[in-house]
Amino acid sequence: MPAEAVRMEGIVKRFPGVVANAGIDFSLHWGEVHGLLGENGAGKTVLMSILYGLYQPNQGRIFFRGKETKIRSPHVAIQLGIGMVHQHFMLVPRLTVLENMAVGWEPRIGPLLDRRAMRRRIESLISDYGLEVDPDARVEELSVGEQQRVEILKALYRGAEVLILDEPTAVLVEQEVEALFSTVRALKEQGKAVVFITHKLHEALEICDRITVLRRGKNVGTLPASEATEERLAEMMVGREVVFTVTPEPVSSQGQVLLSVEGLQARDDRGVPAVRGVSFEVYDHEILGIAGVQGNGQKELVEAIAGLRQPTGGRVRVGERELTGQSPSKLAAQGLVHIPEDRHLRGLILTFSVEENAVLGRHRQPRFAVGPWAQRRRAIRIYAQELVERFSVSVPSLSAPVRTLSGGNQQRLILARELSRDPQVIVAVQPTRGLDVGGMEFVWEQFLEARRNGAGILLVSMDLDEVMMLADRIAVMYQGEIVAVVRRGEATKRELGLLMLRGKGAVD
Amino acid sequence: MEILSFNLFISALRLATPIALVALGETYSERAGVINVGVEGMALAGALTTAVVAYFTGWPWLALIAAIGVGALLGALHAVWSVYLRADHVVSGAAINLLVLGFALFLTRVIWGWRGTSPSAPTMNAWILVGVGLFLIGLSQVYIFRTPWGLRLRVVGEHPRAADTAGINVYRTRLAYTVLNGALCGLAGAFLFNNLGRFTDGMVGGRGFIGIAAMVVGNYRPLPALAAAYLFGFVDALQMRLQDYIPSQFSLMLPYFLTVIVLAGFLGKAQVPKALGKPYVKEQG
Amino acid sequence: MRWIRETGPVVGAITLALGVGAIVTALTGYSVPQVFRHLAVGAFGDWYRLAQTLTQATPIIFTSLSFLIAFRAGLFNIGAEGQLYMGAFFAAWAGFSFQLPPVLHPIVCLLFGAAAGAVWGFIPGWLRAKRGANEFVTTMMLSYVAINFTSWLVAPGGPFHGTAWANQTVRIATSAQFPRLLRGAQLSWGLIVGVLVAFLVWYLLFRTPRGYELRAVGQNPLAAEYGGINVTRNMILALTLAGALAGMGGAAETLGTHRRFIELFSPGYGWDGIAGGLIARAHPLGAILAAVMMGALRAGGQAVDRAGVAPADLAAVIQGLVILFVVAPELIRYFRRLVRRKKLGDIEL
Repeated sequence: MPAEAVRMEGIVKRFPGVVANAGIDFSLHWGEVHGLLGENGAGKTVLMSILYGLYQPNQGRIFFRGKETKIRSPHVAIQLGIGMVHQHFMLVPRLTVLENMAVGWEPRIGPLLDRRAMRRRIESLISDYGLEVDPDARVEELSVGEQQRVEILKALYRGAEVLILDEPTAVLVEQEVEALFSTVRALKEQGKAVVFITHKLHEALEICDRITVLRRGKNVGTLPASEATEERLAEMMVGREVVFTVTPEPVSSQGQVLLSVEGLQARDDRGVPAVRGVSFEVYDHEILGIAGVQGNGQKELVEAIAGLRQPTGGRVRVGERELTGQSPSKLAAQGLVHIPEDRHLRGLILTFSVEENAVLGRHRQPRFAVGPWAQRRRAIRIYAQELVERFSVSVPSLSAPVRTLSGGNQQRLILARELSRDPQVIVAVQPTRGLDVGGMEFVWEQFLEARRNGAGILLVSMDLDEVMMLADRIAVMYQGEIVAVVRRGEATKRELGLLMLRGKGAVD
Repeated sequence: MEILSFNLFISALRLATPIALVALGETYSERAGVINVGVEGMALAGALTTAVVAYFTGWPWLALIAAIGVGALLGALHAVWSVYLRADHVVSGAAINLLVLGFALFLTRVIWGWRGTSPSAPTMNAWILVGVGLFLIGLSQVYIFRTPWGLRLRVVGEHPRAADTAGINVYRTRLAYTVLNGALCGLAGAFLFNNLGRFTDGMVGGRGFIGIAAMVVGNYRPLPALAAAYLFGFVDALQMRLQDYIPSQFSLMLPYFLTVIVLAGFLGKAQVPKALGKPYVKEQG
Repeated sequence: MRWIRETGPVVGAITLALGVGAIVTALTGYSVPQVFRHLAVGAFGDWYRLAQTLTQATPIIFTSLSFLIAFRAGLFNIGAEGQLYMGAFFAAWAGFSFQLPPVLHPIVCLLFGAAAGAVWGFIPGWLRAKRGANEFVTTMMLSYVAINFTSWLVAPGGPFHGTAWANQTVRIATSAQFPRLLRGAQLSWGLIVGVLVAFLVWYLLFRTPRGYELRAVGQNPLAAEYGGINVTRNMILALTLAGALAGMGGAAETLGTHRRFIELFSPGYGWDGIAGGLIARAHPLGAILAAVMMGALRAGGQAVDRAGVAPADLAAVIQGLVILFVVAPELIRYFRRLVRRKKLGDIEL
């Protein structure tokens, strides 16, 4: 019987309107990699956030090294030797790797920060675990994979014996995943305990010694990876429901170009070229997926197409018209709509009512306004009512602020608003991020419906599975360029991953 | 030209001092994530406190300490409002300015019977305070960029959640540096009183806002902010000499004009702390 | 019902401020009942006193609207004072330079005032939108410029030095003056114009696509941009409108109260606008009430002073306290939460 590092008993955590953890038991041994598997919203991250002291459980007990322990804050957790690498990194982009790692545990000479001692510590950690990074680089200059390494190094520097990795592969491509796995194995050999949160079955089977499956805030079971199969885990994850996927029915394109992008160039917020001469076409009845590791210019590409970033070169045509760098309202008038990546940042005005958000972008149209000096309030209300009903958005009332809606309903409202403009071209970025299964299904079906009706869809997603399922063609973006375009089924996930990671050089 | 004498550069240093002190204070609080527009009122409160204490006790040193204390208290007030009660930072600062002005008019009436002014009172040599200011600015440059506490300060303003998980109390850090900002404004006010020898309600006259501008131009760094403050001090000194040549109203406008122009030219390049002005909400549970 | 929830904290804050004001009064050795009685009687005691209150409320209505329209667009107009001076001077200029029929003349003057203020709002608006210059610093700085500039215009040696005994312009033409509303009082049509303008601002903000865009930019500029709204243009528009409103306030002072431009005429109406806009929780109709409250504090304060009970500036202290408590709506919630946490604590831990 291996020694127990952590035991959590009967953990209950309630949030307003949701029970995230409904009495979960969980145990973690030294020298094991323990997979925590479950769908979005199953309660994996919440459970581990409780272990890390970010949340306090409503009920339940935590034992660390066999002793009952109250973990009141992450700081307490870190002092106990628990480290966590979040999905959103806790790094300050403007500071160096060294400064990011040191903060809170700074070596000193007199009153000053001892940079030399710190550098020595980092270098010894780097050589122990094979996590290569430059201690003096600014974090903002690093790739996402490197930033993740900094996070792991930071946790180790702070003395982590238990390391929680929250969906660590979500931001990585196949090849980086392999490097991460070898780091995880090295940690295990040192006797550390690792929690590996994921919703991907094959990953769990590959790296973990034991796997705990959560479903709707409950522990469905813990089993050794050697006894698990994908089928069995899938059944545990979703219960009697079937894993939902959609299959796009074959529709033939009429060969009409709806969106054409030629040699497009754009800079990022720091003024560095991020989109470097991108060209592609989107045809009618087609979904073109753009796959790529986050930060390879997808954001800038979409913003440049959607009129939110001035291109520095190249052309964008919608149908026959050239609309390079035109405002979102002009683009929308020509049939191009945009489902933005971040609902709260761009898609909605949270303090505005459902009605007001329903006409965002159309608020100047004659249907809703008489010139700039009067609104047609009745028309707006009737229209909002219509949207809400047609897309079954559940709202407390039309005059309620959209802040009060759930994430899924907020996304439905955006889709309702944009898709009801009968667009010819839909530009969507991560449209299912943070949604539950029902929400994802809804979004996917709406896209397939639009495709059936002849629209062209540009789907940008970091989730390769989503792209591979929906897209007719997949374009791989790497360092601001399209390095390959393949038809559905022409490339394996591994081949795409290679392209995403190394660009054209990967072909040989 | 008689205007550009050696004396001009010396009096520029004197006039730059209150601006540089405010800029230094604002550098600290904004690095921690708190915008403090109340610097104007805090400096005015410092000047008034110095006048009152110096008038009644005759001890300028005690007056100085009292001014710093009152500034710190107002800093604490602003911190409680903006950090703990999550009031809008600019709004809370503006409220403090109005409150202090009200008190200044009222208390001068109550104490001396004159609206908004004091009789002259014992002063100390203002050059001492110039020296103190220069010393603090040099020290701060090292503190912010070379010490562990300076590192923590920078992280709190850039990524409060990361600071929190590293065991740094975000709220307390913000409180501490806003109090420090208030104390430095109090010091600036004490300087203004000792420079003039009496109190008037218009004696800060926008120097708080100019101090914020100097901080922006200095890109949140103490020494460059000092250089910017010196520029403003120089124009202020020049302005006084120009009054013999052009209508005083025009020369009085100069520093304000310069501030607008300099801000318009520089701000785009400043590296504003990411979490500036945003309330930090600890994950509740 | 919603307005009760919105005004509740404001009423609470005012009550709290009066309470703290009473403590300050007592601590400085004045009689609390006397001060408060004179304050109330001085502000509302009879028709003449009410007229005095409303006279002082009039410019504050305009400057409050000025602050809040910028605030709704996410900007801080701290410089209403300067815009007020610009508006007051140029309205006076139109008043003594032109010969126009009675009803038309004040309207033209009002527009001149609005335009002058608008220019003084446009500059910081443009600098903010195009150059990223902090508008709360630039509006303030430009305020000092405007005050000095208008002073020079009417100073000895300045181009519009109108009378020997004071730094002021000549009187504006009778045709340009706002009629007075009460014999023997300075209260004029300016008040009615102010109330009308408040309703107009309300309509603009909440019933027009323009206002929708201004508010969208204030609430979430990125989403506004996504919705095809030109963010920079709306920022400039908001501060220009803010300047115009404050400028109209200055014009109303010139046309209704002083009938000429006088150097340094404003006892801080521009700064009061910050307070008024905040007390109104940035609602245009609330601004009317907030302005009346502050006019009452000013008029009442003067009455307290005249009666020899306490200095008028006690009212300024109370006003400062009101603002301080109003800007922290969390304050009341915070106390409530503290109490609740104590009760829950027994169950949870």
